[in-house]
Amino acid sequence: MEPILWFGWFRADIIAEYGVMFWRGLQMTILVTVICIVQGTALGLAIGLARLADARHSPARQICRYLLRWPSTVYVSFFRGTPLFVQILLIHFAVLPLFINPADGLLISGETARSLKQNYGAFISGILALTLNSGAYISEIFRAGIQSIDRGQIEASRSLGLSFARTMYHVVLPQAFRRMLPPLGNNAIALLKDSSLISAIGLAELAYTARTVAGAYSRYWEPYLSISLMYWTLTLGLAWAVKRLEARYGRGDTR
Amino acid sequence: MNLLNKILLPLGLAALVAGNVHAQNKELVVGSSATYRPFAYENPAKEIVGYDVDIIKAVAQKAGLQIKIVNTPWTGIFAALNNGDVDLVISGVTINEKRKQSYDFTAPYFEARQLIGTHKDSTAKGLKDLAGKKIGVVTGSTGDDIASREFGKTNPDIKRFESTPVAISELANSGVDAVIGDNGVIAFRVQEHKQLKTVSDPNFPKEYFGIVVKQGNKALLDKLNAGLAAIKADGTYAKIYQTWFQAEAPALPAQ
Repeated sequence: MEPILWFGWFRADIIAEYGVMFWRGLQMTILVTVICIVQGTALGLAIGLARLADARHSPARQICRYLLRWPSTVYVSFFRGTPLFVQILLIHFAVLPLFINPADGLLISGETARSLKQNYGAFISGILALTLNSGAYISEIFRAGIQSIDRGQIEASRSLGLSFARTMYHVVLPQAFRRMLPPLGNNAIALLKDSSLISAIGLAELAYTARTVAGAYSRYWEPYLSISLMYWTLTLGLAWAVKRLEARYGRGDTR
Repeated sequence: MNLLNKILLPLGLAALVAGNVHAQNKELVVGSSATYRPFAYENPAKEIVGYDVDIIKAVAQKAGLQIKIVNTPWTGIFAALNNGDVDLVISGVTINEKRKQSYDFTAPYFEARQLIGTHKDSTAKGLKDLAGKKIGVVTGSTGDDIASREFGKTNPDIKRFESTPVAISELANSGVDAVIGDNGVIAFRVQEHKQLKTVSDPNFPKEYFGIVVKQGNKALLDKLNAGLAAIKADGTYAKIYQTWFQAEAPALPAQ
C-alpha cells in the first residue's frame, strides 16, 4: 500500500491496513467492558451485602460473621490490595490452567479444554480477573451507599412489617442507588480503561491491536493516538450515559 | 593579563580537557530486552547476562567504549533507540530489509533461524501445517512477520505476546497450538517443558542478528564493526559462542 500522509506526518495507511483488527478490537473492548460492568455490579451487590450481614442472636450471628463478613472482607482486601495486572497474569497462567487443562483439569479436561482455552482462554481469564477486581471496588460503593441511608428508614420499614429483603429492595436500595450512581459511573470508566491490561495475555482488544501495529512498523504515534481517541470517545459515551441515569433517577430529589 | 594567565586560562583549559575526556568516555546506553534467555536475561543477582551481553561487552572493550546495559522491554526497544534513551540495541534483533530502512545494523554476530515449538502429539511438519491453528508469536518479531505474511496480518489465529516466555507458557497451557520464534530461545524454552517439542521448517530462511544503532550514526557503527571484527579475529567470539551454545561458531558473512 502507498503511504498516505495526513498533516504531513500521520501514516493513515497503516491504520487503514489494520482497519479490520481495530474494528474487532473495539468490539472486543466494548464486549469485555459491558460484561464486566454487569457481572461486577451483581457481584459487588452480593459482596457489599455480605459485608454488612449481621444478626441479633446466635447461631445466625456466628454464621454471618464467619461465613459472610470475614470471607467478603478478605476478598475485598485482596482484590483491592493487589495490582490488576498481577491478578490477570495469576488467573490466566496459574489459576485457570488448574481448572481448565487438557492434561488434568479439575473442572474441564481433554479436547474440550483444549478448544476452550484456544478460542476463549484469554477472554475467560480477562473477564474473570476484571469482574473479580471491579466486584471488590463496587462492593465498597454498595456498602457505603447502603450505610449512608439513615437507620431510621430501615427501622421504620421493619416496624411496618416489611421483611429485611423487602426493606432492602423497596426502601434502602432505590435511595442508595441514586447516591451510588456517580461512583459507579467512575468505576465503569476505570473498568473500560483497565480492560487494556488484558492485552498482556493476548486478548485481541484495542491496546493489543495498537501493540501489534507498533510492533510491525516501529511507529507509535499512529496506533496509540488512534486507540486513545477511541477510548476517549467510549469514556465520553459512558460519562454521558451515567449523566442521563443520574437525571432519570435524581427526579425524586427535586421537588 | 596576569590574572587571566594565572587563574582563568588554566581553569578554562581544565574545563576544556575535562569536557573532552567526558566526551570520549561518555557512557553509552545499551538497550536489551532481558527476557530472551540465553541471549539476554536477568540472573538471580539482577544482572543482565547472556550471549548478547558477553558479545557487546567484548566488542566495547575492543572498541574502547564505555557501556551500560539497560533492560528495555522489546515492544518499546526501537522507540527507545529513536528518542535517544538508548544509544544502541543488542537484543537478538534480526537484520531485515524493513528494519534497515529505519535503522543501521552492524555486521552479523549470530546466525539464526526461526523454529516452531509445539506439542509432542502435533503432526505439523512446517509452517504450512499450522494453517487454521492458533499461533503464538512475540509482537513485531521475525516470527510475527513470518506468520503475518503466511496467514494475514489481521488474522485472529495469530496471538501476539510481549515476550517469548509468555508465549511458551501459553503453549504449555494449550492456549496456542504452536509458537514461532528464534531457534536459540525456542529450543531453550521448549526443553523446560516435557510435553513440548521443536519442529524446524526447512523453508525458513537463514537470518542474522545484528547490533542496531540509530540511522546515520556512522561513527558509532564503525567503532562497533571494528570491535566485532576484532573479537572474531582473535577467537573471543568463538569462545563466547561455545560458552552459550556448546557448539562451534558458524562462519558469518562480513556484512
